[in-house]
This record gives sequence, structure tokens and C-alpha cells, in this order.
Amino acid sequence: LTMSAKTNASKGRDSCEVIKNYHKQAFEYISKALRIDEDDSEKGEAVQWYKKGIAELEKGIAVEITVQGDQYERAKRLQDKMVTNLTMAKDRLVLLVCNHNT
Amino acid sequence: STTTLTTPQNQVESLMHELADEAGLDLNMELPQGQTGSLASTMASTEQDELSQRLSKLRDQVE
Repeated sequence: LTMSAKTNASKGRDSCEVIKNYHKQAFEYISKALRIDEDDSEKGEAVQWYKKGIAELEKGIAVEITVQGDQYERAKRLQDKMVTNLTMAKDRLVLLVCNHNT
Repeated sequence: STTTLTTPQNQVESLMHELADEAGLDLNMELPQGQTGSLASTMASTEQDELSQRLSKLRDQVE
């Protein structure tokens, strides 16, 4: 599946692509963090991946959606889900960091 | 799997075309622009849902 932006893409379509690209990066990082975290192995390493994932989620959420209609709805839904995961990942990060230091 | 790795690419492709011919499909046919975008969005949403599920599972674990 290729998700490369088409050269003839309109400006509006670009904002959707940008959000999706941040999602992709965040998904990769947080998946890595989760794999380590769920494994109960070195939590300190999971912390690093959570931080990277959180940064990508924040960038994706900050993107202004410049399309309308169905495309807007889809992009908005994706951003809403990213907000949910941002909160949850941050909560998890706080917990891990606190446990790690004590 | 190892089978996938050792099977020559051209064999895989010719088999895919054979199957597609039988089913009357055109493998070179592309989805309309809007549709690929919506497919990618749906996939992204599903992936975010997956993260939510795994994160909430960890949250609910007794520390």
C-alpha cells in the first residue's frame, strides 16, 4: 500500500496526508513502546518510544484540516482518536517514569 | 513465511494474474483517488483504535 503524496494533490488534500503521515510515525513509535511495556522488560526503553510517539501525535493533532465534507470528517475523526491516545500515552508515561524513579 | 521468500516473484505474479483472469478482475485497475484516501484514513483510524485498546489494557492492569 503506497501512501506517498501525489504530486497533483491539492492543498486541502495535503493536510489529510500530513495528518496521516504523523499518525503513521506515531503508530510506529507507540507500537514499539507498547511491545516493550507489555513484555514487562526494560521500561526505560519504552519511555523513550512513548515520548517519540507523543511528539508525533501532538504534531498530527496541531495540523489544521483544510478540506471539507467527508474528507474533513475522516481527518477530524482520526485527529480525535489521536487526542485520546495522546492522553492515554501521557498518563502511561507519567506512571512509568514515577515507578522507574522509585 | 519462508515459502514467500523462496518463491520467485514472477511465479507469484503469473499465478496472481491467472487467478485474476479467472475471476474477471483487472489487476492494474486502480481505485479512484477519493477511495484510496478514505481507505488509508480507515486504516489509520483502526490503527489508532488498536493503540487505544492496548493502552487501556495496560492502564487497567494492577500495578
